[in-house]
Amino acid sequence: MFSTITSGTIYGIRSCLIQVEVDISQGLPCFQIVGLPGSEVREARERVKVALKNVGISFPPACINVNLSPADIPKSGTMFDLPVAVGIMAAMSKLPEESVRDTLLIGELGLSGELKPVKGVLPIVREAARRGIKRCILPEENAWEGALVEAVHSIGVSDLHETVEVLTGAEPRARTEISRDDGSDGEVDGNREDFADMSGQEPLKRAAEVAAAGFHNLLVIGTPGSGKTMLARRITTILPPLSLEESMEVSSIYSISGLLRSAGKLKSERPFLNPHHTITGRALVGGGRIPTPGIISLAHRGVLFLDELPEFKRETLDILRQPLEDRQVQIARSSGTYVYPADFMLVGAMNPCPCGYYPDMDRCRCTPYEVRRYLRHVSGPILDRIDICVEARPVEFQDIAGRRTAESSAQIRERVMRARQMQTERFAGTGLRFNSDMKAADVERYCVLTDREKHFMERMFTSFQLSARGYHKIIKVARTIADLEGNSRITEEHLAEAICYRQTEVLK
Amino acid sequence: MTGQELDKAYMHWLYRAVGMGNRRLIQNLLLLGPPAEIYEMAKQGMLSEKLSGKHKAKAGRIEESAVNCNVIAEYEEMTARGISFVAAGEDGYPGKLKSIPDAPGALYYVGKLPRNEEKTIAIIGARNCSEYGRAMARQFGEILAGAGVQIVSGMARGIDGIGQQAALDVGGYSLGVLGCGVDICYPRENRQLYERLIAEGGICSEYPPGIEPRAVLFPPRNRIISGLCDGVLVIEAKERSGTLITVDMALEQGREVYALPGRTTDPLSRGCNMLIRQGAGIAVSPQELLRELKPDCVGFVSDRQQAVVVPEGMRGRLLQLLDYQPASMEVLQRKYADMHGDHILISELCYELLQLCADGLAEQISGSYYVRKG
Repeated sequence: MFSTITSGTIYGIRSCLIQVEVDISQGLPCFQIVGLPGSEVREARERVKVALKNVGISFPPACINVNLSPADIPKSGTMFDLPVAVGIMAAMSKLPEESVRDTLLIGELGLSGELKPVKGVLPIVREAARRGIKRCILPEENAWEGALVEAVHSIGVSDLHETVEVLTGAEPRARTEISRDDGSDGEVDGNREDFADMSGQEPLKRAAEVAAAGFHNLLVIGTPGSGKTMLARRITTILPPLSLEESMEVSSIYSISGLLRSAGKLKSERPFLNPHHTITGRALVGGGRIPTPGIISLAHRGVLFLDELPEFKRETLDILRQPLEDRQVQIARSSGTYVYPADFMLVGAMNPCPCGYYPDMDRCRCTPYEVRRYLRHVSGPILDRIDICVEARPVEFQDIAGRRTAESSAQIRERVMRARQMQTERFAGTGLRFNSDMKAADVERYCVLTDREKHFMERMFTSFQLSARGYHKIIKVARTIADLEGNSRITEEHLAEAICYRQTEVLK
Repeated sequence: MTGQELDKAYMHWLYRAVGMGNRRLIQNLLLLGPPAEIYEMAKQGMLSEKLSGKHKAKAGRIEESAVNCNVIAEYEEMTARGISFVAAGEDGYPGKLKSIPDAPGALYYVGKLPRNEEKTIAIIGARNCSEYGRAMARQFGEILAGAGVQIVSGMARGIDGIGQQAALDVGGYSLGVLGCGVDICYPRENRQLYERLIAEGGICSEYPPGIEPRAVLFPPRNRIISGLCDGVLVIEAKERSGTLITVDMALEQGREVYALPGRTTDPLSRGCNMLIRQGAGIAVSPQELLRELKPDCVGFVSDRQQAVVVPEGMRGRLLQLLDYQPASMEVLQRKYADMHGDHILISELCYELLQLCADGLAEQISGSYYVRKG
């Protein structure tokens, strides 16, 4: 009268396997679930009871105890309905004991016994594969997520009847072949944006290319309608495509947030997140009593675009300081400490002044004081983490009319990937990945300047009153520019371009 | 305390007792006798008998302040803070100011007041100026002040402050005329200029120390700016601008008015162009203006200008394309291609522009925009 079913749950971004232990013994009829169940898990009792009745299994009038082990991990989500139901059937000896061995079950039950999709299938199945589980039984709609993991046999089922059939080996239903899309065929997510659509704005595109090549954070200043958003949307098209490992990682986060289902396939494009400036800090970094990933985790390995940067609340932006530094975010709650990845490229956009026309003083009506105050809305620590700052000028008629064919994203991406290659070789075995990861000591080590360049920097340092931090940023960006050129040495031209991307005095 | 000092102390009391913006009342009071006598009258409560009309009502306050005031101690406390006081008719009172209608009865000042025998000019203009105005205010300020012309202005944001700063930078003299007490720095962002003016030039006001800036106090201070000068130079002004108030005052006082011409399409030059249309002198260049003001002066070249070596090659051609209107990198790139027929790469452009900036020939303003400098 005892059975054990393997299931899984999500704990922050990590997934872990859960043993669902069901015991049915003589005594006053009762049905209880223990092992830190959340309210959704506790409600499984009612769903399971009715679902079993409706598929023709009379619920035993006995004392039923369900334990979710390990019992010290808080459990949430509706994926325990199926394992509890199957566990009861097994404990009632309606299923042979060996039929559930080495099998992972997850799914939400409807009252009629049908199975409904749940969140976080992909990371749970990956965890199961790591732990040597051979077979996963999943709701039909989630089955493709499981199928992405090669090492396990994922089976999609639509209701309890079918589950029993699959488990007892009686005539497994002919399954539809699930196509595995690892994103190698380029345009898949329907992101048809391309740099070829953007004529003019050469300095802007160049800055985006440099930023993408070194994964530098980027700030675009410009009048309304000068193409800031257009640029930001296209940055993901020139970043190198996600590797399979990265793609799994990103898809897992989306799966946990319940966003992968609507996509219907593995994330192959880098994410682009564009939150409105009224967003709360909690929505940005993630949170809640049982924390869920925030916008910055959804932007993991992709671009987080903050339009109208000064309009964001200062406290909200300040929350980004730690994730920008650590590339992950730690959220502590009474239920435990959760770590979500947040390795994103920050792209900020803002107007040059409240009216948007500075420095065209014939149109700008802001006083220098207002301009400075507006720019200083953005907190210093955030600006410190932005390596490249570029200004978009207003679009002119020639840009629209004189349609010169612009370079396509694919062409730019090729150069970016070559620059990435150089960085990978340079930083092999150091834990650094991009030029933007370098700390002051790394800059000294990897960006050696000859006397000529040192002399040049000395002159620039005094004429532009650079700070030590500003100096290091310039060298890092110059390193990326040299990498784009395939040059192992940083030259004066590289440094000069990097200096042009510095934040000018008004921002300080 | 000397007799003269004592007179000043009572005059200072009278100024403070009457309060702001009531010059007519002071004039009427002074008809009654010297300030010390007025003080005695006020103290004994006899002032209201001597005054008539609407001024009678004000007598009460003056009498009250006479009772509560230690005239000499207050005056000494003020001079200890470095603030001087000069009344009309005294020796130190600026000569040029004597001739204007409605001259201030007295001035508070820190530092030095302008010398009467030297040429003095006011450099005034928009607070929210363009890069063109900024560069021109700087050029006129430097060259005129370098040749010994005294620069007077209102220490405001924009043109005023820039012209004065330039004058001090070349070791010239400059006076700031404030619309508040001389012990208050307004606007606050000009703190540095304020400190420098105290040390190297002067700050003056007709308002007693401690008076906060108020909008109504500024138009009357403009008559002092123009009154202290031989001429007024308007660098940039919109069609309806506070600067034009100063111009009206200057015309009333018989001062010369010069205006810097600008493009007819620039709103910030429209006021200046209108002045020229009405007959103002055209400020073609600082040298030209200098020739008019001081015909025997050989001219002045600042160290900054002396050091300029005009670059050659691509850098030189680029410099020619730069203007006082901010131009973005892309516009420069296009202009360069149009004029010289070859495409200049962004990286090259950055390099050459930076060199120009480092040489002090150009300036990078807010991101990708560049202007000519000097």
